[in-house]
Amino acid sequence: MSVRAQFDNSNEVGVFAKLTNSFALIGISGSQNFYSAFESKLGGKIPLCQTTIDGNRIVGRLTAGNRRGLLVPVNTSDQELQHIRNTLPDEIKVQRVEERLSALGNVICCNDHVALVHPDIERETEEIIADVLGVEVFRQTIAGNTLVGSFAAITNIGGLVHPQTSVEDQEELSSLLQIPLVAGTVNRGSAVIGGGLVVNDYFSVVGYDTTAPELHVIESIFELNSDAPDQDVLIENYY
Amino acid sequence: MQLTWKDIPVVPNQTEFTDVILNRTQRKTPTVIRPGFKVQRIRQFYMRKVRFTGDGFVEKLQEIVDSFPRINDLHPFHRDLLDTLYEKNHYKISLASLSRAKTLIEGVSRDYVRLLKFGQSLFQCKQLKRAALGRMATIIKRLKDPLQYLEQVRQHLGRLPSIDPNTRTLLICGYPNVGKSSFLKSITKADVDVQPYAFTTKALYVGHFDYKYLRFQAIDTPGILDRPTEEMNNIEMQSIYAVAHLRSCVMYFMDLSEQCGFSIEDQVKLFHSIKPLFANKTVMVVINKVDLKRVSDLNPEQQDLLKTVSEQNNVEIHELSCATEENVMQIRNIACEKLLTARIEQKMKSTARVAKLMNRINVSRPKPRDDVVRAPYIIDDADKPFEGPLSKEIEAEQGGAGVYQPDYHEAYLLEDEEWKNDIVPELLNGKNVYDFIDPEIGAKLAALEAEEEALIEQGFYNSEEDEEMETSDVEDIRAKADWIRKRHKVMMSESRLKRTMARHAVMPRKHTRRTADKLEQHFDDIGLDAKQISARIQRAQSENKDRAGRGADAVLGAQGNQIIESGRIPSLDADLAEHLNLTKSGREKALRLKKIQQRQWTNDGRRNESDRRIESSKPKHLNTGKRGIGKADHR
Repeated sequence: MSVRAQFDNSNEVGVFAKLTNSFALIGISGSQNFYSAFESKLGGKIPLCQTTIDGNRIVGRLTAGNRRGLLVPVNTSDQELQHIRNTLPDEIKVQRVEERLSALGNVICCNDHVALVHPDIERETEEIIADVLGVEVFRQTIAGNTLVGSFAAITNIGGLVHPQTSVEDQEELSSLLQIPLVAGTVNRGSAVIGGGLVVNDYFSVVGYDTTAPELHVIESIFELNSDAPDQDVLIENYY
Repeated sequence: MQLTWKDIPVVPNQTEFTDVILNRTQRKTPTVIRPGFKVQRIRQFYMRKVRFTGDGFVEKLQEIVDSFPRINDLHPFHRDLLDTLYEKNHYKISLASLSRAKTLIEGVSRDYVRLLKFGQSLFQCKQLKRAALGRMATIIKRLKDPLQYLEQVRQHLGRLPSIDPNTRTLLICGYPNVGKSSFLKSITKADVDVQPYAFTTKALYVGHFDYKYLRFQAIDTPGILDRPTEEMNNIEMQSIYAVAHLRSCVMYFMDLSEQCGFSIEDQVKLFHSIKPLFANKTVMVVINKVDLKRVSDLNPEQQDLLKTVSEQNNVEIHELSCATEENVMQIRNIACEKLLTARIEQKMKSTARVAKLMNRINVSRPKPRDDVVRAPYIIDDADKPFEGPLSKEIEAEQGGAGVYQPDYHEAYLLEDEEWKNDIVPELLNGKNVYDFIDPEIGAKLAALEAEEEALIEQGFYNSEEDEEMETSDVEDIRAKADWIRKRHKVMMSESRLKRTMARHAVMPRKHTRRTADKLEQHFDDIGLDAKQISARIQRAQSENKDRAGRGADAVLGAQGNQIIESGRIPSLDADLAEHLNLTKSGREKALRLKKIQQRQWTNDGRRNESDRRIESSKPKHLNTGKRGIGKADHR
């Protein structure tokens, strides 16, 4: 199931939220509308934590996580860390990461089994990712972009990558991640997939501008709703 | 590419044309001229009229010529369609005559303006103008037929259906009266006239429908008779052009019941004769009116005849009935599907463009690289609807965004519910509280306390014996520390004083008063013993007392103690006053007199009465030479 939402008039929902299979972090906004988009589907089922990271609302870009753990950047304040720890159950490990590339959401793209990371990330960080999140870590780029977290969104079921990813790259990434991949866009043609959408194995929130064909692609690759899009129809429509 | 021409402006007939333009000239140019005016002005007046009218005609003609489609630039389908409908040559000649009229009028306008330059009188100029306008009107009058024709073409063009030659198209063709229009009517919303006689449909009709979210157009064509194309009439030719030029799926309709008035043989023959037009197209034969007669009802010869159609060209034969709606939708879908596959096949041939698209519709499936199962993690109650009010509803209830402050602590998972809203300070006594948070802090504290108690019991802290010794030591140290602090303060204030005193005149050393007390003090400060030296001083003083009454020494000697007492060095005046034994009032008077005497010097800017310096009275160097703005502010 997918929901279209806006965070204070911004369509970049992936910037302001982090969604995993076992919890969600949501930036603190002026109103509760954005939070309620998550709450309507996930409320009472998994913990939803409204928080800031170092006073910033862009929690989706600053943190990385999956159902086993959460990584926060080093400049997260102690109170924020305590708030997150209080809200999340003890099984979920919360770990501060001392990494120069502190926007962890942009440099790490992970599901519960595999993570793609920025090629320049430090070795210690790589180890922390493997330990805390319990994943295999691969240094990769997506369509020539090093910010793998910004230009891809993956779950245990499928993944959406930058629209200009070549077929060969897609095949390579797909065999690394062991999930089907498709190139696509969100928010009426935006290539910043990670910024425009948050997704887990059973729910997704996409930017308000996302068109019906885009949503159709998203729902079918993440198996959130319906069958796969008809290839012929797509060729006829876009050619 | 333009597909419809609904917005061509109305083409006026020749009288309306001249009326409009001359009317405009009358309205938009000056109207009053008198014989008494200068001839220059009169010429100008009429030249303007001629030029304005000429421009008006030219502009209008150009507009008409431009608004009609240029037949050679159109898609071949539209070109041929317009050719059959309006006769291409006629159309081109009409437009050409309009544009020739335009050049003629330009010529007339230019000639008469030139003649008007030599006009001698009002009358002469007026006649020239009349002649010019008259000739222009005559040129337009001769355009009667082209204008009429173009107006009719315009009206017809506007009603042509908008047919896109490149989009997905189903083309319905066949003999007259075989049920083409009824098929179009049953698959689209097009309101086509269906009548039981031949050539009900005399033009192309277009209907639209959706299949797989794609928009298709279905084109109903007039019936075709089996005869050479040269003998075909305009109505049939439209069908032929549609079949020839449109990239489409051609559905050839047949009527086996022969209700249409044409035998099966004729219909098969027609198929074979228009077959050359089907190159590069998907074709299917549709048998209509199967409620009356099916293929299976035919005798073997006719069936063989029908087979010649299907076998040769890999053409499928389908049966449907528009009357009973049997198979209509299925056959529409089959046709669409065939058309789509054919089009996509063709598109896939142009690799460059398709590659760009393929990466977006390609779903990469992973090849397994190990035996690890990477299962999804979907919570059990994922589909359970949310109960209770949403946070945004609560917010709206409690005053809306900006007023309502949600409780972020509500979701805390703590051992004790009451802890949720406990306030934990971030900083306490200048320390970051969270640096000291330790889950085992209680145990560690208990251990420390136990250790401490044990130490106390062992008497680790009992050390009363050396307490007294320590006290005397401590007192000594304290006294010294006090002394150091005090001394430090004094030194600081002295240094500060020194700095301020640097700006003042310094008392010469020989005039400062040096007393025995000060000397002793100083010696004491720097830690030397002053006993010897003070003894010497006392000795000297006692000798001095004996020598009292001699000169200045007597005065100073007498004052020594006094100075030390007051702690202040008297001014020379006071000194002098003392010396002269002046009373208090006398001293004030002396002071006043002194001021009066000094007044003149200060006014003159002299230092004292011996200052005779003469400054330059005429500072020429300050007042001569070039000066810019604001360079000599001393003036």
